[in-house]
Amino acid sequence: MEKIVEVQNVEKIYGKAGEKQFKALSDVNFEVKPGEFVGIMGASGSGKTTLLNILSTLDTPTSGQVEIAGQDITKLNNNQMADFRANKIGFIFQDFNLLENLTAYENIALPLALQNKPVKSIKPSVMSIAEKLGLTDILNHYPTELSGGQKQRVAAARALVHQPSIVFGDEPTGALDSKSARALLDTLTKINREDNVSILLVTHDPFSASFCDRILFIKDGEIGQELKKEDATRAEYYQEILDSLGTFAE
Amino acid sequence: MLNKLALSGIKHRMRDYTVLFSGLMIASAIFYMFMSLATNQAFLSSNSPAAATSFIFGFGIVLLAIITIVYVNYANTFLLSMRQKEYGMFMMLGAKSSKISRMIFIETFAIGAISTIIGTLIGIVATGFVSRWLIGMLDMQVKHFSSFYLPALIWTFVFFIVIFMFSAIRNSVSLRRTKVLTLLNRDSQPVKIKRNGVLKAVQAVLGLILLAIGYFTMWFSGNNPGAIYLGIPVALVTIVGGTYLTINSFVTAVILMLKRRVNYSQKGLNNFTLSQLSFRINDYTKILSMVSIMFALALGAITVGLGFNNQIDNVVNGQNYYDVQVTNPDAAQQKRLKDLNIDKKVVYNYKTDGKKVYYRTSEFKKQPIGYSQINVKTMQSKLGTTSDIKKNSNAQYELMNTRLPETRGMQTEFVSDQDYNAINSKETSTVLIKTNSFKDNLSEIKAISKAEIKSYPALKNAGGDKYSAYTLINGFFSGLEFMGFFLGIAFLAMLASCLMFKILSGANGDVKRYNMLYKIGTKQKMLRATINKEIAVLFAVPAILGIIHVLIGLQLFVKLLYKPYMNIEIPFAIFIVLYLGYYFLTRYLYKKIVLK
Repeated sequence: MEKIVEVQNVEKIYGKAGEKQFKALSDVNFEVKPGEFVGIMGASGSGKTTLLNILSTLDTPTSGQVEIAGQDITKLNNNQMADFRANKIGFIFQDFNLLENLTAYENIALPLALQNKPVKSIKPSVMSIAEKLGLTDILNHYPTELSGGQKQRVAAARALVHQPSIVFGDEPTGALDSKSARALLDTLTKINREDNVSILLVTHDPFSASFCDRILFIKDGEIGQELKKEDATRAEYYQEILDSLGTFAE
Repeated sequence: MLNKLALSGIKHRMRDYTVLFSGLMIASAIFYMFMSLATNQAFLSSNSPAAATSFIFGFGIVLLAIITIVYVNYANTFLLSMRQKEYGMFMMLGAKSSKISRMIFIETFAIGAISTIIGTLIGIVATGFVSRWLIGMLDMQVKHFSSFYLPALIWTFVFFIVIFMFSAIRNSVSLRRTKVLTLLNRDSQPVKIKRNGVLKAVQAVLGLILLAIGYFTMWFSGNNPGAIYLGIPVALVTIVGGTYLTINSFVTAVILMLKRRVNYSQKGLNNFTLSQLSFRINDYTKILSMVSIMFALALGAITVGLGFNNQIDNVVNGQNYYDVQVTNPDAAQQKRLKDLNIDKKVVYNYKTDGKKVYYRTSEFKKQPIGYSQINVKTMQSKLGTTSDIKKNSNAQYELMNTRLPETRGMQTEFVSDQDYNAINSKETSTVLIKTNSFKDNLSEIKAISKAEIKSYPALKNAGGDKYSAYTLINGFFSGLEFMGFFLGIAFLAMLASCLMFKILSGANGDVKRYNMLYKIGTKQKMLRATINKEIAVLFAVPAILGIIHVLIGLQLFVKLLYKPYMNIEIPFAIFIVLYLGYYFLTRYLYKKIVLK
């Protein structure tokens, strides 16, 4: 499999024909290779959330094609979409979205239970990802008993436990303090490198973006510039992002 | 400007407001329905021989008032949970808190007033409908009852105006005291976690012990009527306490046990459902206990009401062996007799000389006569037949009542055919019929009895046939039966709406959870299934406890009613169908709020 995500000529128009229409995305094309850590940057209203919703099958494009892990997701029915999300996609949300009446362990195990995985296999999977993310000691805690950083790591574990083809992060550091944010990004980078998990991060924060291998800048529904990290250090890359943002608006 | 904004806020949440309004309307409708009976002294005194009736209804008013207050309280919380964010925003934009608190006051009060007025109108219509239905279904005779009763109307208005006044004051004070930030973010306030295993275990044991004491007391005082004055208060206290503790601990323990069984809990959304439930139960203990007690009272009222109906059968069948008695039937009457589903038919002839009545002994040899006999101790009747009427006083009594009234006082003689033929007077013929079931042939029997009275007007006051006994006894018990049914249905509607509201008022907080589950790939079908399951358990827990309470509580009536457990499936079925209706309505509304 060469590409994990392939987006071709995607267009999204809100509003019915004849009414006042709004074009949220126009002619978007890009791809993500296996094991890549890609960022999508843009200001509020630039269309990045629309794009993420389409990629994660929560919304459908008006036209164009989206393939994820070799499957055209625009042609799925509702049930197939749900199955697709459950099997192929991991989600990390800005506000964690943990279920506060389940313990950390139960939250992490949820995607596996949803897929009706054999009960015996659930515990090893949860323990293994918990260990990787340093959550072993807090597995029996409820979300309200955890700090923001811990909550987001639990959410990350939940996104990774079923070994999805790709993990989508929607401003995952948005609700974290700088220390927790950095720890989470380090963890994601580690998992991306060691386990070859593809990650697609949507953010408007240059610091978060500087952890990516490649950044796509989106503005008014179109992908403009693309910035690759290549051999630059993170600090240098951060500076490049800031420069690009400075000129991108013009 | 703010008022306009507030109004537009209401328009945007029409669906939630529909739920709120319909709930409050149901509350005032039921309250009115109940008051139309309870405040109608003429109705109460003319339909029930027991002095306790007024007391029972007084007790009913207190109970209903308490649940109505709880109910309005939930509705109010629901309203506040919908509005606080918006009001918080107005305050953030600079609206003075005094202005906001005045607005919420007016809003609460207006909602209360409108729903009370419409609800009472519905109540009047519903009262008419329900009473007609009950009277028709159970062939009741109810006196002094009308669906529009002014004192009930006034009571309902006064009661609701007072509670809404309090609610409005409470809302405006609580809004004024809460910080703007809290108002804005109340949705995301954390859930409290409770873990206290030992205490729960103690509670579970204590709860079961209390229930056992309560059940024993009911059984004991039912079988020893003298103990009832101490027994009922003891049972009431222990059962209420036991129910509360059982729900609070025992049910949670069962849920925890299920959670520990990973083969069950780690499948699909089972664990989520169980966790939702265990959190809910903590929050719902009070209402679930209240619902289960009310459930028991309501179901008990209907069951006992129907018990009186069974009593009618028992007493009526104990009066006469034959369902129909006709003297010298003409052609029209013969035709009516043919419509009956006849089990046994006998014809006896007699002559009278003005002092005595003469029958032929041979007729009774050929057609043995049926009679009924009441055992005074057990109040149970026994039916029998005999061909030797001379030796059987019960049969003679039965026979005497089959004659026309003017000959009933005369002495009866049983003579040989020869002596009989020698008597020179007109012969009268009596046709006696036993049908396969008095109740099933009721309408035909009624017609025959009416025609008979038309031919022999003296029968009107003298009676003697089974149908006139039935009218008398039916009139006596119908009032009690009607009250039992009415009380039961009013309570049921109230308690089920209470539970519905409590569940719906938590729905807004669940939107986020279900949205998250949807995003991580849960099928809509599965989400709907988990909601169905969760609400089903919340409805089933109080129902199961309530049914157990009633089954054991009927022990209180073993000495009072003839076979209190007879035909018990009928009130249970009626009750469960209505209750299920509420379950389906709740889950439908819940899904409308929670799912996309």
